Amino acid sequence: MKYKLIIDKNAQEEITAVVHSPSALTEQIENLVRSFSGTDSVVGYRDGEMRKLKFSETECITVIDRRVIAVDTNGNHYQIKERLRDLEQLLPSYFIRINKSTLANENRILRFDAVFSGGVDAVFMCGWRDYVSRRCFSQIKRRYEGI
Amino acid sequence: MKRFASEFFRRGISACGIGPVILAVIYLVLYRSGAMDTLDVRQVCIGIFSLSALAFTVGGMNVIYQIERLPLMGAILIHGSVLYVSYLAAYLLNGWLEQGKFPFLVFTAVFIAGYLDIWAVIYCVIKRNTARLNKGLVKKREGSDKN
Repeated sequence: MKYKLIIDKNAQEEITAVVHSPSALTEQIENLVRSFSGTDSVVGYRDGEMRKLKFSETECITVIDRRVIAVDTNGNHYQIKERLRDLEQLLPSYFIRINKSTLANENRILRFDAVFSGGVDAVFMCGWRDYVSRRCFSQIKRRYEGI
Repeated sequence: MKRFASEFFRRGISACGIGPVILAVIYLVLYRSGAMDTLDVRQVCIGIFSLSALAFTVGGMNVIYQIERLPLMGAILIHGSVLYVSYLAAYLLNGWLEQGKFPFLVFTAVFIAGYLDIWAVIYCVIKRNTARLNKGLVKKREGSDKN
């Protein structure tokens, strides 16, 4: 792998990585760029307090009773002011959609569980679980096929 | 609850069109086996109405598994009971089931066995696909760790 640094004061600053497949390195680069540009977190509200939630420390972002909720690594729920649709554009590539109202941090998914009702649940490291819709299930399956 | 009611209706409406098709297949099987030769208007009307209603119920009832607050076994019990009553009513209305204890017991036994078989097959397929997905998740994690 080569490292290339182009210094051009007139060009817009950007970091481009050309790789065969996403890896820990690309994730680290992404996190670094996001943290440098201040887009590695979202503000969450809980019991009147406000907290900066790092994406890497967020298990999933879901909609509960029409409110956008972020679940952190301890299983705490924080209300987010942004809409899920807008957050999808902001989130790092390791966030995957598991159903129409949940975006999951792939690195925090412990396992997928087949449930007797004929569905599949994503079980997170904090113990939180959410269903995987059929459409998202095939998308996730395709995502892993190339590995 | 309103969302589930409208979803029940939507699923039911999209499934009820298959009712008359199933009825036609049943009539064809009965005709080929020599059990039925001619049909009167009353029989055809009852057949179409009852099978459309049955398909509507069967299609709509799947929504019960979307109600996450409902315990799984409760959902299965409600789903199975509603389907059993619907099938029994359709069979009795169309005269496909003789009156009496023995035919009723046979019908019940066949229904329970069929219901359990279908669920077992669905569950096995889901379980296998989920295991594949978990393998992909583990592989991805191992790949990330190596990098």
